[in-house]
Amino acid sequence: MIKVTINGKEIELEKAVTVLDAARSAGIKIPTLCYHEQLEKYGGCRLCLVEVEKMPRLQTACTLMVTDGMVVRTETETIANVRRSVLEFLLINHPLDCPYCDKAGECELQDLVEKYGARAGRFTEEKRKVPESLEDPVLVRNMERCVVCTRCVRMCEGVQGAAALGVISRGGHSHIEPFSGGKFECEYCGNCVSVCPVGAIMSRLHRHSYRPWQLVSETETICPYCGVGCTLVAQVRDDVIKRVVPRIGTPVNNGLLCSRGRFGYEFVGSKERLTSPLIRKKGVLEESTWEEAISLVAKRLGEIKAKHGSDAISGIASPRCTNEDNYVFQKFMRVTLGTNNIDSTARTGYAGAQAFIENIFGQGSTANLIPGLANSDAVLVAGGDPTAVNPILGLQIRACARRGGSILTIGHVKGLRHYSPVELRPALFRETLALEGIVSALKNKKGLPGSNQILEAKLKDINTTPQEAAGACGVTEKDYAAFVDRLSGAATPAIVIGKEIVQSSGGNYKLFLLAAINYLVNGRIYLLSERANEQGLLDMGCAPDLLPGYRPLAYAEFRKRYETAWKTAISERPGLSIFGMIDAAKQGSLKAMYVMGENPVYNLPNSRDVEAALQKVDFLVVQDIFLSETAKLADVVFPALSWSEKSGTFTNMERRIQRVRKAVSREGMEDWRIIAEIARNMASKFHYTGPEEVFAEICKVSPLYRDLTYEEIEKGQSIYPYKGEPLRSTLEGISVDKGTGAVAASRFYLRLERPLFHSGTLSRKAAALVNIYSGALARISAADAVSLGVKDGDVVRVSTKIGSLELPVAIDGAVEQSVVMLTNNFEGKGAFGLAEYAVDPVTGAPVIDCNAVMIEKVER
Amino acid sequence: MEKILLKNIENPNSADIAEYMKTGGYQSLPKALGMQPKEIIEEVKKAGLRGRGGAGFPVAMKWTFASADPKFPKYLLCNADEGEPGTFKDRPILEKNPHLLIEGMTISGFALRAEYGYIYLRGEYPAAKDILNKAIAQAYEKGFLGDNVAGKGFKFHLAVHQGAGAYICGEETALIESLEGDKGQPRIKPPFPVNVGAFAKPTVVNNVETLSNLPYLIGTGGEAYAKIGSPECPGPKIYCVSGHVEKPGVYELPMGTNLKDIIYSHCGGIKGGKKLKAVIPGGISTPILPPDKIDCAMDFVNMPKHGSMLGSGAVIVMDESVCLVKVCYRALKFFEHESCGKCTPCREGTGWLRKVLGRIENGQGMESDIDLLQSIAGNMLGKTFCPLGDGAASVVQNFIKHFRPEFEAHIKNKACSTG
Repeated sequence: MIKVTINGKEIELEKAVTVLDAARSAGIKIPTLCYHEQLEKYGGCRLCLVEVEKMPRLQTACTLMVTDGMVVRTETETIANVRRSVLEFLLINHPLDCPYCDKAGECELQDLVEKYGARAGRFTEEKRKVPESLEDPVLVRNMERCVVCTRCVRMCEGVQGAAALGVISRGGHSHIEPFSGGKFECEYCGNCVSVCPVGAIMSRLHRHSYRPWQLVSETETICPYCGVGCTLVAQVRDDVIKRVVPRIGTPVNNGLLCSRGRFGYEFVGSKERLTSPLIRKKGVLEESTWEEAISLVAKRLGEIKAKHGSDAISGIASPRCTNEDNYVFQKFMRVTLGTNNIDSTARTGYAGAQAFIENIFGQGSTANLIPGLANSDAVLVAGGDPTAVNPILGLQIRACARRGGSILTIGHVKGLRHYSPVELRPALFRETLALEGIVSALKNKKGLPGSNQILEAKLKDINTTPQEAAGACGVTEKDYAAFVDRLSGAATPAIVIGKEIVQSSGGNYKLFLLAAINYLVNGRIYLLSERANEQGLLDMGCAPDLLPGYRPLAYAEFRKRYETAWKTAISERPGLSIFGMIDAAKQGSLKAMYVMGENPVYNLPNSRDVEAALQKVDFLVVQDIFLSETAKLADVVFPALSWSEKSGTFTNMERRIQRVRKAVSREGMEDWRIIAEIARNMASKFHYTGPEEVFAEICKVSPLYRDLTYEEIEKGQSIYPYKGEPLRSTLEGISVDKGTGAVAASRFYLRLERPLFHSGTLSRKAAALVNIYSGALARISAADAVSLGVKDGDVVRVSTKIGSLELPVAIDGAVEQSVVMLTNNFEGKGAFGLAEYAVDPVTGAPVIDCNAVMIEKVER
Repeated sequence: MEKILLKNIENPNSADIAEYMKTGGYQSLPKALGMQPKEIIEEVKKAGLRGRGGAGFPVAMKWTFASADPKFPKYLLCNADEGEPGTFKDRPILEKNPHLLIEGMTISGFALRAEYGYIYLRGEYPAAKDILNKAIAQAYEKGFLGDNVAGKGFKFHLAVHQGAGAYICGEETALIESLEGDKGQPRIKPPFPVNVGAFAKPTVVNNVETLSNLPYLIGTGGEAYAKIGSPECPGPKIYCVSGHVEKPGVYELPMGTNLKDIIYSHCGGIKGGKKLKAVIPGGISTPILPPDKIDCAMDFVNMPKHGSMLGSGAVIVMDESVCLVKVCYRALKFFEHESCGKCTPCREGTGWLRKVLGRIENGQGMESDIDLLQSIAGNMLGKTFCPLGDGAASVVQNFIKHFRPEFEAHIKNKACSTG
């Protein structure tokens, strides 16, 4: 026990903390400016100087650790003078432009001067002049206002790990500048904006559009972008989201955000939002009333069901919609329409990969805490760049590296390259060898644990020599062994798996090998998830073979449970997968499709084929917030409410259930409400007054959510397993299909870029994200650029068997040779227009890595 | 007194290893390698050697702290960032006697069980860089550096790291930051470099002159060494004298030589027989002394009793023709330029002081300006992150303390009386 006395007050502390923390714990206020609880100590501003007995100099409370018997004084005349004089120094070069500055009202310097400062300054010379920098589309710098606290620099370098800005020059000339010059070339997380105490670095999105005190409401909700599930606070004025900020202390992101979360909210207020239901009349979509559209859909679906049977209808659920939306949707499909034909884009990787891993390690085995990555002693990353796909998860991997953990990457992981990763970069189509080599080496090094006979039986035949494996990666055996050693020496390793592995040829076998590695090193698996509620929709039963609560449809006892709850018979025939639906539509056996909040015509590979298939469907209903590529084909379009306009829950990749709250209002209906209206028109009893009632039903019928309520979620952390019972797995066998491994020879192959700044098709309506990354590019390696005779910005035609695109070239050090990387985010320029796929026989995911590509320069 | 540190520097080839060895060079190294590291530190303690960088910290104490830390590797850094106005005492060692420093560092490295040493060299000493690099190459060639120093199984590697012209990098933690490739700014202490220094390992930073004492100290033994100069801080000291004396230059004298003697006997008195106006005894940041206060022994213990400090031993002598307002202004211009910008009082205060001094010097001063200067300086002193800001503030305070009438005259007459 440490005893300290601050201002005569005795404080007892369990462990040594800073004087500042000790004082705060006792309710004693010490002013600070450069101090920030998320950042490394700095001690530069000198505002927190205090008197400490037996120390000749004044001490900074933010850096000095308490020792037993220490006597501190914070409220003496000397200290009052210090505070006054430091603030006077700070104001020498700070323009008093508060009436014009957006920070006024939430400016730490303003507040400090108000409380501790002198009434007037004595500085009469000219102040430093620095023009406002509007060179960047998203961030605005006003370096006249900078107090050189370096919070932004410490955030950028020490937490975000982007190291994009620094203090330039010295002394009174010190100012903050991105190393790239006036325009930032960074990850645009905006976490520098969060920590700036004054108006020196701010977001341009809300520039001069409101004053902090004019905010009408602040709503804590969950980010609509990826599966990490960051908490964000939407600040609203005049029913418009003015700004999105993080909050310290929230789970998962704790005060941090990424570019999409912070700057990607503008789609909500887009003028392109749908405002009224649309009905196709004489080939043209025309505005209609809600009543007309709802009764038309009910009538047509009823007719098709009667004429062609339930299974002639299918539904595509949405990983962007809430659990409530998805639950009602699958219930509508199963109860009202009588089919299990429900699936989603989770089928493109996440769903199958998770089912595969859970079959081996049990239900919930991929639900691991994201912040826990930072405490691992090794993180193996395969199949994608976590810092782009799930940025806040990526930061935890960077934190792991900073704490001395080993970062091991398979393939080129751009966002971790500054973290001294041990890399293996297998040659194209030789990943399997590299992974087999690791399994073989681990088997020899560590032996088989003996706890899973079925898995181990399958490992017997994997005996790839280090020579072969090292050869596949183009490294020496010694370097290969070093990689394995780091992995085998780890006590708490984590394995992070991205979609690229799942969507590659032999993907299920590679997953098996990663699972085997996980088994041999006793690690834990994280599956990257690209959508906010990808996990939730699976939990809700939006899958052709799963009922809510992840209960397999195949088991009669589970069907019976839901039949009792829903008071109706449930078809025992498993439904079509999303790819099965496309095939059925092409063949003409699928007559109607209902798409909720998804854009399959753009988001599924071979998108032109998907478009043709959907055109063949007799009746297509789409619910969306924009007139997407899919909505354009629909017979009826319903305008949905966006994530910020409704309440409900999302479940993140940790299986943490979190509350989505309404921040702004808009006319219209939530997705679940539209569907419930249609169900009622079809004589189903879908009587819910609000999302809470839907959630109550979920918790009543699903054994996984027993006794959960909104109140319960808000009280604490609702992380899997919830109060209910997870399904115990009884491993009967592991099905693996290696495939032939045969790939047609080609000079180039198509690969998908999953950029940090975009996600699906939502981000393209977010102006700031478009400003940061504004158009599709063809990324190729420098060596290939030379052989093709092209340079940055030259336009090339990228063609496959099924299509071609003309795109500017970007030479990218992160791209492997013989690969062209395209995004699938920009209108009319999607990579999926060029990509054919085959379905992985085990995971059901599309295999898209074999697309041969031609590249030719377009002469202008 | 025989020259120890500046021995042989009149020889135009003194920087060559052969010349150095001819006059007894590299003979202490094998002796040191035959001792226990602990014994070397004991000798240094007996010798009473204090750091020559300015603070006068006992060397043996610093070494003991670093040795006691169980972390390895340890680093030995030589602070050759000699940048304070008036200071040029290390330069003759670096340029004329580099092997003395190399031998001293190798002995020190052995005493500390450090395997790596760096000489952090002032950016504005390009000649010294080439000379040091050549000398280091010669030492490697002769086996006085490398994996097996002098065949005794001790590994010690040495490299020169050139600074980029920042005065602050003479502060040991800023030096370490800069060496690591970061912006030169001081670090929070504790932890001290002896525990968490370069690359987060135990690190000793010693001045050029300090380390150059080691060959002689080990050769002659601590007790004999302690007989040189002041009993409280023994050894030879290099005084570098500039300004209005007949013979400015570097003087190696016993520590504690009287300042008056340095000026009047060693340097031949005030140039042209003019009247002495003021002396800054240890580099620009040490308090200025009026003529009646210069009868004092120049060492670390005695100078504070006379209201100043030994500092680096850089004596700046000014005669009656000098305008002290202008000197003060010029000094603050230096501090403003060299302030690293990390802490508020120094970053903002040095510039403000310079601006107020500038207007007084330009004849636009106000009566209240002297109080303002005192107030600004008072608001800086003791509140800055490192001693740079303290130095700037104390310059202003001491100039006004001893020469207030000159500042008043400037303001009143709106011009300088010295012309």
